[in-house]
Amino acid sequence: MSSTIGVELKGGMYTFMSLKLHTSDVDIVDQKLADKVQQAPGFFKDTPVVIDLSLLEDLDADINAVALLDCIKRHQLIPIVASIGNKSSPLAKSIAIPLIESNARRSGSTKTVANSPEVKANTGTDGTAAHDSTAGDFKPTRAEKLDSSLDVSPDVELGLSREVEYVIKAPLLIDKPIRSGQQVYARDTDLIVMGQIGPGAEVIADNNIHIYGPLRGRALCGVSGNTSTRIFCQSLEAELVSVAGNYRMLETIPEELRGKPAQIWLDKDRLNIEPL
Amino acid sequence: MTKTIVVTSGKGGVGKTTTSASIATGLAKRGFKTVVIDFDVGLRNLDLIMGCERRVVYDLVNLVNQEATLHQTLIKDKRIENLYILPASQTRDKDALTIEGIARVMHKLKKSEFDYIICDSPAGIEKGAKMALYFADEAIVTTNPEVSSVRDSDRILGILQSESKRSKMNEEPVKEHLLITRYNPSRVKDGQMLSVDDIVDLLAIPLLGIIPESPSVLDCSNAGKPVILDDDSEAGQAYSDAIDRLLGESKPHRFMEAPKKGFLSRLFG
Repeated sequence: MSSTIGVELKGGMYTFMSLKLHTSDVDIVDQKLADKVQQAPGFFKDTPVVIDLSLLEDLDADINAVALLDCIKRHQLIPIVASIGNKSSPLAKSIAIPLIESNARRSGSTKTVANSPEVKANTGTDGTAAHDSTAGDFKPTRAEKLDSSLDVSPDVELGLSREVEYVIKAPLLIDKPIRSGQQVYARDTDLIVMGQIGPGAEVIADNNIHIYGPLRGRALCGVSGNTSTRIFCQSLEAELVSVAGNYRMLETIPEELRGKPAQIWLDKDRLNIEPL
Repeated sequence: MTKTIVVTSGKGGVGKTTTSASIATGLAKRGFKTVVIDFDVGLRNLDLIMGCERRVVYDLVNLVNQEATLHQTLIKDKRIENLYILPASQTRDKDALTIEGIARVMHKLKKSEFDYIICDSPAGIEKGAKMALYFADEAIVTTNPEVSSVRDSDRILGILQSESKRSKMNEEPVKEHLLITRYNPSRVKDGQMLSVDDIVDLLAIPLLGIIPESPSVLDCSNAGKPVILDDDSEAGQAYSDAIDRLLGESKPHRFMEAPKKGFLSRLFG
């Protein structure tokens, strides 16, 4: 199917590191960046960054934008776009990379506000390795989007700040039973099922799985490797449960836990099952 | 308004055709103009159960391919007014059916002012079964009290949710009914069969009826008579109750308890 589409234009939201400049002094920036990069050389290598220039715009000093960018590139960071309050300022004109106008100044906050729409945030089985045509066609109840962004507090004393944006994605909510042969995957988020998981059905999530009903099929949480995720269900009758690839079959689940509300989590490679 | 009801199960041999025949006959007996369609192309059976096997001239595939008219294809039942049978083709296979062709047939039936279209689904989850359920407004999921049948029913319920026209057009979902057939209360008591409660718990859909295991079902099949016409049999009465519930009446479920053995039968049984 997809091979006939060729190209597809979509809105999307990506997380980038932003580099906020608190000074226009190239030497200071060079020194502080060197310190930073030295702490974790591999982490910063070839990392695309958004250059936040909002603090420099009001400075009267003559800013050598070219030298600043060169300095940043020298530390193996890749400036892809500059965030600036006013696109027509002299500083904006002197910078040789694409610009985005930040609304941070207008709102009087230094927070990076995630305001681009997230497309296909919760399309259900999107991307599932569907083993059967019935799997792909779920109609999840769309929960209200809870997108927001959190900033890691700026490291002010270094004259630089590192802001990493975290996006909280709405969970995938399904308000009917998952039948035998159906498969649901909550990508990058929690899965909530308001009903039973039938025998032979499979629920998968990158995050936690919450089941308000009997779990009779398979439940796999943390499939992209998150070991701190858990499975919660109201009646544990599962064929298989797995947390980040560590699995157990029904026969190895203690008799006294079967049919009871339970949670499953990983404790140092050991899969724990405990009554709720 | 024409209502399309599919009788389906996933598993074979659980009583789909018996149920289709009795449900269609029951609805027609109550005055609704009803047609029952055999979707089991290549394994035609419904005509035998309905006792019209010698009257089949044209079939569903002829109709889909526009080789015959609706009037030529429909077989009018000799016992019940308002009841028509649309037989499957025995010489073709399921690939002869197309959604467009079936859509044309459904449209013609609606124009002929049928109240109910009962679709007798073949077993399995392949093309024939998917064609049978595609146009359904309601589904009667036929289940025997044993685990493999229940699991297959669960599977077909998932397909109803994702592959029916209603689900694809984002309309109100197909209304699901559970019909438990071949129920034998004494074997349930002995733990050889699943109980009604177990099955309802596993499938989580409303219960339309419980058809007790009864020799009259086989007798009627052999005689080409829908079992619902056998008023003396428990199975016939149970189907009658199911029709009432299908039409919105609430009735207590019968035939769930093992009959108490009397003194004589205890002595000789």
